[in-house]
Amino acid sequence: MERMIEVTGLVKKFGDFAAVDNVSFSVAKGEIFGLLGENGAGKTTTLRMLATMLRPTAGRAFLKGYDTQKEPEKVRAQIGILFGGETGLYDRLTVAENIAYFGELNGMSKAAIRERIRQLAQAFGMEDFINKRASRLSKGMKQKAAFARSIVHDPDIMLFDEPTSGLDVTAARDVHEFILRCKSEGKTIVFSSHSMSEVEKLCDRIGIIHRGKLVECGTVDELKKNTVTMIWKNYLSGWWVRNEAETCDDSTEKRDKGPDT
Amino acid sequence: MKLKHVMIVLKKEIKDLIRDKRTIISSIVLPMILIPVVNIVMGGGIQKFEKEINENVTVALSQSSNTAEARELVRDRILSKNPNIVLVDTDDPVKALENNEIRCIIELESSYAEKLKEGMPIHITLQYDESKTKSQAAADIVAWAVEEFSEEIIKERITSLGLDPAILQPVNIERVNVAPNEKGNNMMLEMMLPFMIAMLVAIGGIPAATDLVAGEKERNTFEPLLTTMPDRGSLLLGKYFAVTLFSFVSLIAILAGLFIGYMVNPNSLTIGVDAGLEGITLDPLALILALLITVALGMTFSGIQIALSTIAKSYKEAQTYMSFLILATMMPGYATMFIQATDLSPVMFTLPVMNTVAAFKMILGGRIDYFNLVLALVTSIVFVALTLAFAASLFKKEKVMFRN
Ligand SMILES: Nc1ncnc2c1ncn2[C@@H]1O[C@H](COP(=O)(O)OP(=O)(O)O)[C@@H](O)[C@H]1O
Ligand SMILES: [Mg+2]
Repeated sequence: MERMIEVTGLVKKFGDFAAVDNVSFSVAKGEIFGLLGENGAGKTTTLRMLATMLRPTAGRAFLKGYDTQKEPEKVRAQIGILFGGETGLYDRLTVAENIAYFGELNGMSKAAIRERIRQLAQAFGMEDFINKRASRLSKGMKQKAAFARSIVHDPDIMLFDEPTSGLDVTAARDVHEFILRCKSEGKTIVFSSHSMSEVEKLCDRIGIIHRGKLVECGTVDELKKNTVTMIWKNYLSGWWVRNEAETCDDSTEKRDKGPDT
Repeated sequence: MKLKHVMIVLKKEIKDLIRDKRTIISSIVLPMILIPVVNIVMGGGIQKFEKEINENVTVALSQSSNTAEARELVRDRILSKNPNIVLVDTDDPVKALENNEIRCIIELESSYAEKLKEGMPIHITLQYDESKTKSQAAADIVAWAVEEFSEEIIKERITSLGLDPAILQPVNIERVNVAPNEKGNNMMLEMMLPFMIAMLVAIGGIPAATDLVAGEKERNTFEPLLTTMPDRGSLLLGKYFAVTLFSFVSLIAILAGLFIGYMVNPNSLTIGVDAGLEGITLDPLALILALLITVALGMTFSGIQIALSTIAKSYKEAQTYMSFLILATMMPGYATMFIQATDLSPVMFTLPVMNTVAAFKMILGGRIDYFNLVLALVTSIVFVALTLAFAASLFKKEKVMFRN
């Protein structure tokens, strides 16, 4: 299976403090990979390194074969991002202008953008407010606009950083639907969360991150069957750390397979 | 860095800023109307007051000297040359002065008629109220009339002695102004305009700069932007040019306001004083150099403002930094404001703000020194490069870009 994301030995230090400590994993095309961890575990920092916003202190990350440090622009052109909490729309621009701006920045032509906006407006039921300024929208409308904006350039990889944090149940369900919709379109997804049930529901594979270290990794079933049940049980009360578990590969490819191809 | 990306960002920022009421009011509307309105209101008041002081100057003779002959002398000979002075007949002049019915009391000594006839000096007392501007001015106006009357008598007496009154003026003084341009009364303009141009350009970008980085961070729009394809340099430059553009929007607004104000009422340019624009001729080459220096000033300050906006942890903090920047800008501005075009030194041409003030002073004063103008332009370009490099280095710093 084609590896869309390949992370090896990723480290990020802020001063002496290692926010992300030797994290390795890979994600296959069309997979949803969940990064599960409590607050401050290093999820955002990891995703920021994948998105080329932060430079790793050590290690490497490849997205669709592009090195995040050598070809950051090419990497950014392949990804769509959605952050939790605020939607990050420009209040003084209309929904269409917000979407068009990101389309232009990501190298789309004017004609392609126009067609894409029409398509997205229909897909998300935004026809009524597509030309309204973001400041005049309800929360739900803003969320739809933010979804649409994140995929305007039809990226192959989607990064979601705790996209449901601070949302009510309905809004969270909309986010889940959006993630599944991205999957159905064949996109590769990395999704961070601190909610076990959410991750269990959506993800094909899960990596558990704790104090910057990736302590467990596998499919939901694998984790359930194996020793890892300990972690599930102790998820809220404390962490069980398996020291040697610092590498996490596709379920289909084992560690002994050899170096990168 | 790609020009295409810079242009996309620039275009969007302009659209965004134009829709922001706060930015529009503080960058365009206020500068446009401020000076004309203040000057028309103040200037109108000053003109009205001047008119009141000089017109209908009511005076009366003191009780003791209020005789028909005295009135005739005062009205027909002493005050006759100034039609604005009105001699009022009143029984109680002291009270009338108190009640503002008259502005000045004239008292002639009792034996004035004989003394005048015999060619002896006569004594005239003017009573007025120093605490009232109109009364004070009236005393001056009357005293001047009395002096003219006095000179007239001197001439009469000398002529009656068979002499030429010209012997009283053994030396004639004539002054010739050698200043170039035959300047009119444009001191006000020479002082205010350069200062205003430099200040406005230096601080005009502040609302935009605050909004475009600190504002974006505060509204959580900055991180999504950083995940789009363009590199940080392109994002920075797009924002930088938007801020630079807005630095000049304020200046253009204020100049447009001044121009419209001048067309409507010439006194709106200065506070009721004649603007004296007639004598000014501008050297075109020097003017172009000065404009380039001004553009460089705008760019320098855009760089500083973007940097401050990037360093700030919040919108509020950015605003605080910007107030300090305004203070820091005013110091060199004020320091050069009162210096005359003839007293400019080369050092002034090497420092931001001062260089722009000095360049425009030089041009308005009509004493062009191309060496200093080129010196100012070259040093300005260095400042542009330094401040832009500083802002760019901040845009690459993770610590300032992502503060948790
Ligand atoms: N820019 C930064 N400077 C210093 N420390 C940081 C910075 N960003 C994150 N951290 C620290 O790194 C750790 C991991 O943070 P983060 O990746 O945001 O965790 P998560 O997203 O899992 O909650 C936290 O302890 C956080 O305080
Ligand atoms: Mg986080």
